[in-house]
Amino acid sequence: MKDSQEFDHRPDPELGAALRAALEPKDDQQVFVARVMAQYKRAWDRASVPTLDVLASWFRPGIAAAVAALILGFVFGRTMLTPAPASIDAAMAPLEGPGLAALVTAPDPPDASVVFSSLVDQR
Amino acid sequence: MFAEREGGGGGAGEAGGAGGPQPPPGAARMGSSEEDKGLVAKTLAGDRDAFGTLVERYAAQARRVARAVLGDPDDADDAAQDGFLSALVKLAQYDTHRPFGPWLMRIVANAATDRRRRRSVRQAEPLDPSLVGGGPRPDAVAMRNELGARLRTALGELSERRRTAVVLFDVEGYSHAEIAGILGIPEGTVRSEVFHARRRLRTLLADWKEQAR
Repeated sequence: MKDSQEFDHRPDPELGAALRAALEPKDDQQVFVARVMAQYKRAWDRASVPTLDVLASWFRPGIAAAVAALILGFVFGRTMLTPAPASIDAAMAPLEGPGLAALVTAPDPPDASVVFSSLVDQR
Repeated sequence: MFAEREGGGGGAGEAGGAGGPQPPPGAARMGSSEEDKGLVAKTLAGDRDAFGTLVERYAAQARRVARAVLGDPDDADDAAQDGFLSALVKLAQYDTHRPFGPWLMRIVANAATDRRRRRSVRQAEPLDPSLVGGGPRPDAVAMRNELGARLRTALGELSERRRTAVVLFDVEGYSHAEIAGILGIPEGTVRSEVFHARRRLRTLLADWKEQAR
């Protein structure tokens, strides 16, 4: 064994042997090998499926889902974002006060401040 | 988890002094690189026995590395098995220009790390109290068992990366560059990790030898 303060690029045979003995499995190696090989077929089947096939199998439903999402999004967006067309009556209806239509049809000349404030409200 | 990049550093040489790097006893190279590549090619062609040979070659090494990460031997075997099967699934991705051992060990180490993270409670291997106190040692086997238990405990006190690095270097014989590829860390960090791990383990080993006299 070498000085513990020494930096050495080479493996330490004594320490390596002691560690190896400490980590060495106690049972028969063949038992482990048999255990791994018992799972061979399942792993091989997984390995045998080409990656492109896996991607392709994801691809088709992906396209269908994307198209469906686009259609739904378009319909929903149109419904929610497009304002309903306003009728002329609704446009002329007062928000508060007599409103533009009442002022226009009144027999007496209107107060100018009321007319202007009504027009500004309509905007 | 350790790095997922392919290849294990390619077995770059080390500036190992006059004699260059020396393989430790029973070092990692379970078979020649060319033999491994041939077995990989046969496995990819569907040869079950070829894969079996690869498992036989690397089983001991994979189990030791997994045990270095996990501590518990049963968990380690589960992780090593996961590693072999995962390697089979990913075998088509293996770059045959690089050595097979580091590639496989990276997968095994990752499998062990995954398993360790999944464990809700860390199950440190309990140390027999009679061993800690340096009790009677009836024979050489008991002494070796005692040393093994102490080393496993000491390994368990190191960080996962540090203990994996020292096991890969001193037990399995991988170069710093290869370990850097396996663990996904810079080569200088590997050197540092190995240095610190050795300092702790060598102290323990020296104390034990002193007591054994």
